[in-house]
Amino acid sequence: MTGFAEALGQVAALLFVVAAVGWGASALLVPPGGRAERIAWGFAVGLTLTGLSVPLAFALRLHPGWLPFLILAALVVLPARILRLRGQTVSEPSAPLDGVSAILGLVLVAGVALYALKALTEPMWANDFVAIWGLKGKTFFAEGRVPERLFLWKALTFTHPEYPLGIPFLYAGIAYLLGRWDDHAMALLFPLIQVATLLALFGWLRRRGATPPLALAAAALLSQFEPLYRGFTTGMADVPLSLALLLFGTSLCDRVDRTDPGASRRLVLASLVCAGTKNEGLFFVAAGLVVAAFSSLFRRGVFARAAALIVLPAALVAAAHRLLRGHLPLSDFDFSLLRRPGELADRVGETLATVVRGTPPLAVIGLAALAALIAAGRGSSAGTRLLALAACGLSAYLFLPALAVAGPAWLVETAFFRTTAALAPLVAAGVAVRLIPLWSR
Amino acid sequence: MSGRKLAALSAGAVLLVLLLTANSPRELGRRAEYLVRSAPLELAARRLGGSGAAFDRSFFVFLETLSRRLPRDVVGVAVFTPRPSPEALHLASYALAPVPVVMAPARVPPRWLCAVYNLPPPQGFRILARLPGGALLARP
Repeated sequence: MTGFAEALGQVAALLFVVAAVGWGASALLVPPGGRAERIAWGFAVGLTLTGLSVPLAFALRLHPGWLPFLILAALVVLPARILRLRGQTVSEPSAPLDGVSAILGLVLVAGVALYALKALTEPMWANDFVAIWGLKGKTFFAEGRVPERLFLWKALTFTHPEYPLGIPFLYAGIAYLLGRWDDHAMALLFPLIQVATLLALFGWLRRRGATPPLALAAAALLSQFEPLYRGFTTGMADVPLSLALLLFGTSLCDRVDRTDPGASRRLVLASLVCAGTKNEGLFFVAAGLVVAAFSSLFRRGVFARAAALIVLPAALVAAAHRLLRGHLPLSDFDFSLLRRPGELADRVGETLATVVRGTPPLAVIGLAALAALIAAGRGSSAGTRLLALAACGLSAYLFLPALAVAGPAWLVETAFFRTTAALAPLVAAGVAVRLIPLWSR
Repeated sequence: MSGRKLAALSAGAVLLVLLLTANSPRELGRRAEYLVRSAPLELAARRLGGSGAAFDRSFFVFLETLSRRLPRDVVGVAVFTPRPSPEALHLASYALAPVPVVMAPARVPPRWLCAVYNLPPPQGFRILARLPGGALLARP
């Protein structure tokens, strides 16, 4: 029997080691000097290695845990140290802390503390955690393999066998490192993913020339975004996906703008993480491809290389899933509706009506404020790309309920607002980068 | 100050106020109090008091006891409750994982055990263990 404080301490310690391993590997990705971004990317790398160590250990008939994790870490970190990015240091020039920055810093810390309280109040409980992500992770951990029944048994269709396995492998990986399944202490992962998201946003904006108060303001507002950072989303894939999308969007912009030699490497990792986290990760990778194509229209050769960096990692993840479990259709959707435009149009109408009905008045005011922020900014190619990517996501989330087997209203009510909230970091980056010229010195 | 800056600052301030007021101090206080009160308890007791078991806390007690009484070589468990629901199936599957669970099947698969909650034991099964609110059964 372990009390919560002790278990939380153990999970915190192991996630610190995971982040430290990721920090070592992130020298391959982030130019020297970008400390905030490096911590964020390092955490993403560490979590990716933790998740990957499980199927690799299963494949090699090893017991997952510290040994396979550390072997994998050594195989990644040592070459990363040799191939680390050198040369020009990306500086986040230190500036004296003014009153505005101090207040924004307090708002940000409060946002992190509030989400930590909401995430850690009780063991992870959201239905999608219990029925899908947590159930698979606990099964992998307790059974020491990926049982075929998860993909074959009709009685288990509620676990959505067609969903990617990245999050369940991550849960199983943490449980193996901890030595037991603790779905309460493991919830610490979520506030830490929030912190990584805020650091990635702050660091990227600073590297793109934002003043400290502007970058802090974007991070502070995002930290308080309750539709994403709340007890209910803890345990589900939306918070991890929101980090993955931010990393994907920003690295895509950096690759197209050729900001630094690490951009391509970051894009590869972000594409891999997106595809492994949620099914729509593949959609965002495809949307990123379109955005890159438009951005590189007049630059010969740029698109072909960017396309390879975007598509190949995601294709690798998709192929690995196909190999493991065969072809599994998206069971929630009836794609034959695409051949019945009349019925589909009615369903699109029902979707939009349900979205409008379900949007609270305060959210409308918030959306108006967001539109004002976008309008106040100046044209920025990076901002346009990020907002285009977010717009692609929003369009898909608005359209998909029309194809829902259980009806548009059901999918809007159960998933639309939650999944759309995961676009917030991407939108925050896209809006804030447009505001940089307003406050440039 | 330029009009754009003023517009951005005003819109940012509106967003900040909206986001800050989305938190209910009463709910945060309740969460903090629950966290402090439940922290020394064992994991299963913390889940019992949480939202995941709120639809039927006695059912969770039944499942938790069942998971501790299952034989090592169990193949699967068919769970029977008076009100089978997706919520009950999901919680039972999670609580008993990795043991496969089906809810109220027409026929209990061969070699599977049967767990009844708030229902009389079906005929032709012998009781392996009595549980709070039910029993764990096997074919003779």
